[in-house]
Amino acid sequence: MKKMLIIFMRDVKVNKRDFISLYILIVPIIFGIVINLIAPGVNDTTINIALIEGENIEMQEYLKDFAKISVYKDKAELEERVARRDEVFAYVPDGDGYYILQQGDELEGLLDYAKMMLAFYEDDVQIEDSTAEIHDFGRINPPLKRLLLNIMMMFTAILGGMLIAINIIEEKIDKTIRAIHITPISRTGYILGKSIIGAILPLYGSIGLLLITGFSDINWYQMMVLIVVSMVVSILFGFIQGINNTSVMDAAGSVKMLFLPLGGAVAVAELLSDKWQWIVYWIPFYWTYKGVDEILTYQSSWQNTLIYGGIVVGISAVVYILLIPKIRKGLE
Amino acid sequence: MIKVKGLNHSYKKDGKYAVNNVNFEVAEGEIFGFLGPSGAGKSTTQNIMTGLLQLQEGEVTVAGYDVKHIKNEMFNQIGMSFEQSNVYSKMTAKENLDFYRKLFDVETREPQDLLDLVGLGDKGNIRAGEFSKGMKHRLTFARSMINNPTLWFLDEPTTGLDPSIAADIKDIIRRENKKGVTVFLTTHNMYIADELCDRVAFIVDGDIKLIDSPKNLKLQYGEQLVEVEYIKDGDVVKESFSTIKTEDKNQLKDIIDKYEIQTMHTKEATLEEIFIKVTGRGLK
Repeated sequence: MKKMLIIFMRDVKVNKRDFISLYILIVPIIFGIVINLIAPGVNDTTINIALIEGENIEMQEYLKDFAKISVYKDKAELEERVARRDEVFAYVPDGDGYYILQQGDELEGLLDYAKMMLAFYEDDVQIEDSTAEIHDFGRINPPLKRLLLNIMMMFTAILGGMLIAINIIEEKIDKTIRAIHITPISRTGYILGKSIIGAILPLYGSIGLLLITGFSDINWYQMMVLIVVSMVVSILFGFIQGINNTSVMDAAGSVKMLFLPLGGAVAVAELLSDKWQWIVYWIPFYWTYKGVDEILTYQSSWQNTLIYGGIVVGISAVVYILLIPKIRKGLE
Repeated sequence: MIKVKGLNHSYKKDGKYAVNNVNFEVAEGEIFGFLGPSGAGKSTTQNIMTGLLQLQEGEVTVAGYDVKHIKNEMFNQIGMSFEQSNVYSKMTAKENLDFYRKLFDVETREPQDLLDLVGLGDKGNIRAGEFSKGMKHRLTFARSMINNPTLWFLDEPTTGLDPSIAADIKDIIRRENKKGVTVFLTTHNMYIADELCDRVAFIVDGDIKLIDSPKNLKLQYGEQLVEVEYIKDGDVVKESFSTIKTEDKNQLKDIIDKYEIQTMHTKEATLEEIFIKVTGRGLK
């Protein structure tokens, strides 16, 4: 175990000196922040209203609880803003009232919402006037955020594999594997030592992503099962890439090929009906995606989690058994 | 220290052997040279002895360990300097040695001492990737001593080094050997073998053709010669004469009497010449 850690610590030390490796090590954190920035929360409004600055302060205050308000100097600026590509409605003063200015290609539902908001303001309707009771499932995270998080967690597993590949390629370029084999560390110990960095990235990357994006109240035990399963994929992928490539750029090129099954698995899971799901049953990412999605939507069960995890381990084991001779030869 | 009996190895397992019925023994404290041209089977034999290649046929014992069932602890006792330098280019010289020393379970040498020994004492904090080929080779050589090996495999230890550094390396090998370290030297450089080895084995096409000490080989196969350059009819003539054959001795006397001698020196047969004589092959 001590020698495995020595191998791992060497990899960490060298990876910190390499830009690509360093980038891979910190990218899960960047992913988490980016997801938070681009995915809307449940409290985010879906309508943008433009007003003339200072024209009606009271209206501006009223509307800001229900819409994203932006203000402009005069009518000309207001018109210019509305004419841009995104969906913005302007309330333009007209005599005693207002007219709504739009481009013309906005969604009808949004226009209705803009009309209603104006009517509510004119009739001085307040939230307290509503008698509706709110019942919910306690979900606080929107589907887009969930989707991005799930994809990024799988991507983190690929990056973990990439780190292993980079370290193996380094050993191949420097021809140091033979020197390691003339030391008392066993080949299994060496392989496991080399695997640690690729296993840790999906672990800390996934946990980091979940915490940064606000999914802290999930079933962590079930999630850990799927994260550990992702580590297996990561290690296997890392050794395959490391052994089959002679330069980091070659390995990076091969990684692109993996985005096809990853993207395909997500697309099929999200877009195709149940009768077509079998098309991607062979892709491990499909099962991790399904499992993680159930956990993120609070619909998971231990039975399903273990089945999905078992399938991924099973597929990985088959691939590993087929590739054992090649992996051994590559590490000689 | 090393026993090899009936060693055969076929890379494709198709009956074509890279080494064929190789037998030899290396005694403790000996410097044993394994000589042969490229592709002769030197590296294959060495790789089997060090566990880098799996033993297929035959019996091989290294430092008391059966290579068929190799134990990791065997590597505490052996060191290996590779022909092609193989150090981590993104790590400094000192970090390279520090990393390797931690992988052994025996007392190891101080990295700085080893760097001083091979003339890299002031280069310890420079990344190996910035080293010249010769410096990398010296670092690889230094690394092979980190665990105080009792059996030291050296593959072309002076290749690519300038003469003064090569001389230093040879001195280090002699010093370590005097301490009791057994050396298995693989080379196609007959001069270093002649200088260092107690015994040498000639291997060609996977077969060991001969094993003996350089001195015995010279006595057995070599011929004492005198090489003379003299002026005859205005031209410089160069000839060699045996110091044993009467006819040659008389001819030499005659030349000394009649002509102006420019240079004259005795010439001993080199290991390379003996190798060619015995195997019918050159060493390149």
